[in-house]
Amino acid sequence: MTWYSWLAIASLAICLAGCIYHLIRLIKLGKPKDYSRKSGSPGSGIIYSFTGAMNPVNKESAYLNLPTYIAGVIYHMGTFLAIILFFVFFFTTTLNKMITLPLVLFLFLSAIFGTGILFKRVTDKKLKQLSNPDDYISNMLVTGFQAATGIVLLIPDASYPVYMVIASLLLLYLPVGKLKHAIYFFAARYHIGYFYGWRNVWPAAKHSR
Amino acid sequence: MEKTDDIKIKRGLDVLNSHKDSKLISHLNSCVHCGLCAKTCLYYLTTKDERFIPARKVELVSSIYRRYFTFTGRTFPGLVKARELDDKTVEEMVDLLYGACVMCGRCVQHCSIGVDIEYVVRKGREMLAEMGYVPGSLQSTVKAALETGNNMGISYEDFVDTVEWMEEELQDECNDTEARIPLNEHGKNVLYTLNPREPKFFPLSISAMAKVFYAAKESWTLSTNMYDVTNYAYFSSHPGEAKKIAQRMYDEMHKMKAKRLVLGECGHGVRSNRWEASNYIEKEFPFEAITSVELMAEYIRDGRIKPDKERIKDTVTLHDPCNLTRGSGVIKEQRYILKNCVNDLVEMTPHGTDNFCCGGGGGQLAMSEYNDRRLKIAELKIGQIRKTGAVIVATPCHNCIDQLIQINVTYNLNVQIKTLAEIVADSLPV
Repeated sequence: MTWYSWLAIASLAICLAGCIYHLIRLIKLGKPKDYSRKSGSPGSGIIYSFTGAMNPVNKESAYLNLPTYIAGVIYHMGTFLAIILFFVFFFTTTLNKMITLPLVLFLFLSAIFGTGILFKRVTDKKLKQLSNPDDYISNMLVTGFQAATGIVLLIPDASYPVYMVIASLLLLYLPVGKLKHAIYFFAARYHIGYFYGWRNVWPAAKHSR
Repeated sequence: MEKTDDIKIKRGLDVLNSHKDSKLISHLNSCVHCGLCAKTCLYYLTTKDERFIPARKVELVSSIYRRYFTFTGRTFPGLVKARELDDKTVEEMVDLLYGACVMCGRCVQHCSIGVDIEYVVRKGREMLAEMGYVPGSLQSTVKAALETGNNMGISYEDFVDTVEWMEEELQDECNDTEARIPLNEHGKNVLYTLNPREPKFFPLSISAMAKVFYAAKESWTLSTNMYDVTNYAYFSSHPGEAKKIAQRMYDEMHKMKAKRLVLGECGHGVRSNRWEASNYIEKEFPFEAITSVELMAEYIRDGRIKPDKERIKDTVTLHDPCNLTRGSGVIKEQRYILKNCVNDLVEMTPHGTDNFCCGGGGGQLAMSEYNDRRLKIAELKIGQIRKTGAVIVATPCHNCIDQLIQINVTYNLNVQIKTLAEIVADSLPV
């Protein structure tokens, strides 16, 4: 096996260990104990938190900022696709040409949106004030990873070592920087779903809007 | 502002380091700084001041958490803008967490991630409360409640005098000398609580609710010992003081042997007693605690009172108190009441769980330090009310009533502001 494959495997192991640490900590601290008499269903609230509450029609952060929202959704879809391909590449970097082109196009599109989000962070005054170096590094690593994945699909042999180094950097950074929201996002949505479900605020469909 | 010292800093950090569950670390580690919450916040919308973006408030607390409790923040603080808990940070925290947040929770429901921003703000306030940095005016309200049993420091004699006066009003209104406002009667179905602003400034809302009870033939009482539905320590976020006030209500329910605790028209009073109180004292209530809004809706539904909507012909709009809708899930009941009591109900846009705060929430009305800001952020509510063309603004919250009365004058709105009990009482042909 090549040095860069070893590097990627070692980084993946460290990343998984870091993510498991966060996960175990969340599980050990456990779910909230609420002494108040519940009037709704925490279970339904949690389901709604991951479904209806995520619907862009119900979220001002989405429908009042539609271009950013769409860019964000595509960017995240590109990230999931790149992660799947990372594991596929351990077996082969040569895929059927029929699927290679759409995958490459989507990854490049997603990387362009990622760059757009980065550009917005640099130029928008209120976002700039809110940002820290971690925000820029996280964006650049993910965007670079997506672009490198696309390039590997086009020219596997020439680009694979560089791709593996980028992937390794991303994996090593994930558990310590902002990218760990990949884990905490689910925990946060669980908690607000539990909270609003307990109090019969969510699911919102049963209330007049 | 008094300087920080090691003891204060330790007290503040202890709040971030004591976990009952995974809620706090989940929300402190989730914000991605997208800034999309900006347009959900009435502070940002009315001032365009970037400091007021909800994510900035979360960032204040989470940056301290990172500095002291994460590997990255301890090792490379500059990388994640991890902040020391020092005088400058504390000053900023007081200004933004107490002075620029109504804790309405609107940003929470619209956050792209699902960060409970209001919860993080409360944790930040808790840090400040433990360190002794609660704004003076808010702390004096808490102190009055702790020392006198009600947040306005009303004496026993004054309260009884006011209630007796209102009882006479009730008897005149109902043309029945037997109509009563019972005090300290044990074993009743309902122990009714109210906002001390009522006996102090708006006593007619007491007789209005008494008229509803009279019409419903309810078995009820007030307690002179504990009638205050508010808990301002919920706003200052001092858990020890909040617990003392909550415990007092719990003990009074036991003493009075009432079956139902009915929470008067006060948004945060409802929230702090219906939901937070059991958690402050870490006990489940063996009795039912419901809002007077739910109770009045129940009376109408069960035919115990029969309002005549023809008695109120003016256009009425409803202001949803944040703590009743987003905080307690009471959304349909107030509409059901109004649809049965008034001829013409016009909703604000947006309303229900998407409503905007009146501007007086989060303890703002008790913090005179931020009066100018509070009146400025009311511009949104003014616009909403004007668009409805309503003559009467109804709201089941005395805190909101106070703010609405002030902005009614400041912005020349020229509307009447009423509680739901007043609307129901006006519609009753007793």
